[in-house]
Amino acid sequence: MFNASTFELLVSSFPKILEYGLKVTLPLAVISFLLSTVLAVLVAMVQYAGVPVLRQLCRFYIWIIRGTPLLVQLMVVFYGLPLIGIHSNSFVMAIIVFSINEGAYSAETMRAAMEAVPSGQLEAGYCVGMNYMQIMWHIILPQAFRTAFPSLFNALISMVKDTSLASSITVVEMFTRTKQIAGQSYNYLPLYIEVAFVYLIFCTVLTLVQKKGEKLLGSYGVRK
Amino acid sequence: MALLEIKNIYKSFGENDVLKGVNIKVNKGDVVSVLGPSGSGKTTLLRCINFLEKADKGEFIFDGKSYDFSKISGKEIAEIRKKTGFVFQSYNLFANKTVLQNVTLGLTSARHIAKNEAEKKAMEVLKKVGMDTFKDYYPSQLSGGQQQRVAIARALATEPEIIYFDEPTSALDPQLTAEVLEVMRKLALDGMTMIVVTHEMGFARDVSSHVIFMADGNVVEEGSEKEFFENPKEERTREFLRITNKIVNG
Repeated sequence: MFNASTFELLVSSFPKILEYGLKVTLPLAVISFLLSTVLAVLVAMVQYAGVPVLRQLCRFYIWIIRGTPLLVQLMVVFYGLPLIGIHSNSFVMAIIVFSINEGAYSAETMRAAMEAVPSGQLEAGYCVGMNYMQIMWHIILPQAFRTAFPSLFNALISMVKDTSLASSITVVEMFTRTKQIAGQSYNYLPLYIEVAFVYLIFCTVLTLVQKKGEKLLGSYGVRK
Repeated sequence: MALLEIKNIYKSFGENDVLKGVNIKVNKGDVVSVLGPSGSGKTTLLRCINFLEKADKGEFIFDGKSYDFSKISGKEIAEIRKKTGFVFQSYNLFANKTVLQNVTLGLTSARHIAKNEAEKKAMEVLKKVGMDTFKDYYPSQLSGGQQQRVAIARALATEPEIIYFDEPTSALDPQLTAEVLEVMRKLALDGMTMIVVTHEMGFARDVSSHVIFMADGNVVEEGSEKEFFENPKEERTREFLRITNKIVNG
């Protein structure tokens, strides 16, 4: 199986696989991650502030999303949206599902990080005359974000790999592209190992970005 | 006319009645020390006065305007807080902000003062507490005494009409306590109106103009600093002074 022609196949496939990784997989993961983070911050803030009704809605959202498989959520949206008259391409649908799915998990991460900020920070903000939103923006969220950053980045790294599930709703991303190439050559295993290797490269780079990011965010002099 | 007056304030946590109808009155320029054993309600009183705790009932008079503790609105609270300062036992400096930003934030964000003007004001008050050379440090890089001095500068920067101190030196060793008390002494000399919940008998004696002695959620005795220390009327006060004197003098 691993002979000269296999080696040739791997070399010629590599740019094709990488192309779909950079053109589809990464944008899908990064856009979904950014949207999910915005959603997570909003959902976490509603719970932190204890807004009535909205708070219950947020708990309901988290309950539904965390209680059902991502693959099932993809299917429901893929077949469900057209039924209610929304026709969209599968790439956009995948972004919607990934954002909403990850948002539920990251919301819990953000909520925990916000609750970990000592209540004295909020009180001190009030005492210098700031209002709730000003305190959130200047004090609570930056500190919570710093705490949540490693966990949020974890989510991004997970998401890069989970995007392969988008193949089930016809998104041609890196994994689907690999399957197509493998199907043409009937040489599956080496190509699947190759695509695994590309995922590994992506995640290694992201790990380095995380390290840089943590440095950039600083630790407010704690370990200087 | 009194700058601040509290009439008949009540506060309970569940079954536990912490304030049972306390009255206090503070004139402009007064330095009022609130003394009393732990659990007497001193800190709760101060936190209720700045609405960090919601009092159950009572009247709150500030700057000639009267409010009902149980009915005061968020907007009114915000307006009053802009004229007051608060110094916490645990400093509560903003952990993600430098010393300078800690002081300017209340000016730039809450009062919409231009950044360069806010920084000028901040440096002025930081100089006053002797922390101007630390302006780019983060709170975690400072000692407790330094953090508390920055916290005082933060309260000063907004030019409040009154500053509340909640046991400002309780977390500090004697040397750091001395440096913080020195700053507070200077403020008193400058005519700043202050209410100081404290266990520092020396400070209460030397700096304050009035003393309030609390026990079990009531004001047991109050009066000028001289009357209180030299001629206490209540047995409970005499007992308290006897014990604290014993500790101070061995």
